[in-house]
Amino acid sequence: MEGKNVTKTAVGVTVLSALVLASIMVISANRLKETAFVFLDFPVSDGNYTPEDTVKLKKEITTKEKSIATLQKRVENLWPYGPYLIVNTTNNTFVLRNRKGVIREGICSTGSYILLDAGDGKQWMFKTPKGQFRILGKIVDPVWIKPDWAFVEESLPIPPRNHPDRYEPGTLGDYALTLGDGYLIHGTLYQRFLGLPVTHGCIRLGDEDLKAVFKNLEIGSKVYIY
Amino acid sequence: MKKTYLKYIIAFLAVQAVTAAVLFYILSVAPVKREIMRISEQFTYTTATGSSQTAEYLNKLRDAKHHEAFLKSALSLAKRDSIALLIDLKDSLAILSLKGVYLFESKISVIKLSKGLEKMPAEVRDSLFGGPMQLSSEIVSIEKFPIVVKKAPKDTTEAKSDDSAPTLPVQNDVFAMFTFNNGMVIELAQSQKELAGHKSAYRKYKRESRSRIRKEEGDYLYMLRIELPREEARSIYRALPLRPYVVVRY
Repeated sequence: MEGKNVTKTAVGVTVLSALVLASIMVISANRLKETAFVFLDFPVSDGNYTPEDTVKLKKEITTKEKSIATLQKRVENLWPYGPYLIVNTTNNTFVLRNRKGVIREGICSTGSYILLDAGDGKQWMFKTPKGQFRILGKIVDPVWIKPDWAFVEESLPIPPRNHPDRYEPGTLGDYALTLGDGYLIHGTLYQRFLGLPVTHGCIRLGDEDLKAVFKNLEIGSKVYIY
Repeated sequence: MKKTYLKYIIAFLAVQAVTAAVLFYILSVAPVKREIMRISEQFTYTTATGSSQTAEYLNKLRDAKHHEAFLKSALSLAKRDSIALLIDLKDSLAILSLKGVYLFESKISVIKLSKGLEKMPAEVRDSLFGGPMQLSSEIVSIEKFPIVVKKAPKDTTEAKSDDSAPTLPVQNDVFAMFTFNNGMVIELAQSQKELAGHKSAYRKYKRESRSRIRKEEGDYLYMLRIELPREEARSIYRALPLRPYVVVRY
């Protein structure tokens, strides 16, 4: 009787551990496949290459190398001829460069990704657009024409268009470069926030960086924002 | 009595060994064999066993062909308006490209290929998993657009109190698993081992990515894992559009 009980327990333990083992193996099936690949190979047949084939291969390599050089040239030809600006909106950095290399790099400020909710369905999303842009205009001593959200943020009544309250000189720094749709590259009074995503969509630069960007970029120069 | 116990132990071990062997065959050897057969039916791959010089030329030619295909893919993606990711494993670089212009380059510190990709003949691998391939789904530990909703202040006092330094959201650790239309999976992970953000975000990513791998329908999952510095990985992920194209140079 006791022997039968021992056998029953042993069978139970064996079956249970086999089930546990099976579950572990099912869960780690992907790793097991990796192990299986250690022992298995893709079939490869001998191409029976002759010495003439070796000469052919050599020629083919030369042809391919020429094609690679041509393609590389074509890729390089896609790069802008003049200076261009690249802006990283995640790290809030910029690189001003040309084909030869980097002209200047540093920190900037881009869109904060704040969604300002004024109620009544009025919302503004403060993000910097991504993609390829061109400089559409260059302004010295720009005057900021405050949009509606600037008043909403200050909890002030929104004045009508062209109202004197909308015009604010000095806020945008010494220069501004326009990218279209109201987006600008400009300076800032808040130099301590440079490197942080704090703007309403524009790109803010430090004074010296802005000067370099303004000097190097022409109307039509490319700006890449990512 | 001792003999009986020994019998039980032997029987126990034998059952476990047979279970392990049978399951190993069913779960791994059989599907891998099927996968190898499926690929071999589509592609024939030859090599030069006789001459080492011919073998060297063959490898050089395959490398050159792959490089040519990589550049052609980069050129074809340059016609699009969206940012593409070029992964150059040869030079250990992850590159963001827009209209052919390289916006950002990040040095890849760790490259891990699944055994299937490692063992697959180079020519077959290049044509199947070189790209351009389009992302079909993703599991990520960070958000694409870190949107913060802010209510407009009720009065000027509240508006003025809000004028201080901005409070930025916690930057979570960067792990992304991309699945492509050809079935390949690319994992983009930060190289830093210590976590800087919320642990829950990382745990959620781990749970979901494991479950994604387990649910794989095919016989074998071809995976590539690259590790980059955290902030560079974040920049790359956030720069990419929702369904980006990726090209890999092995």
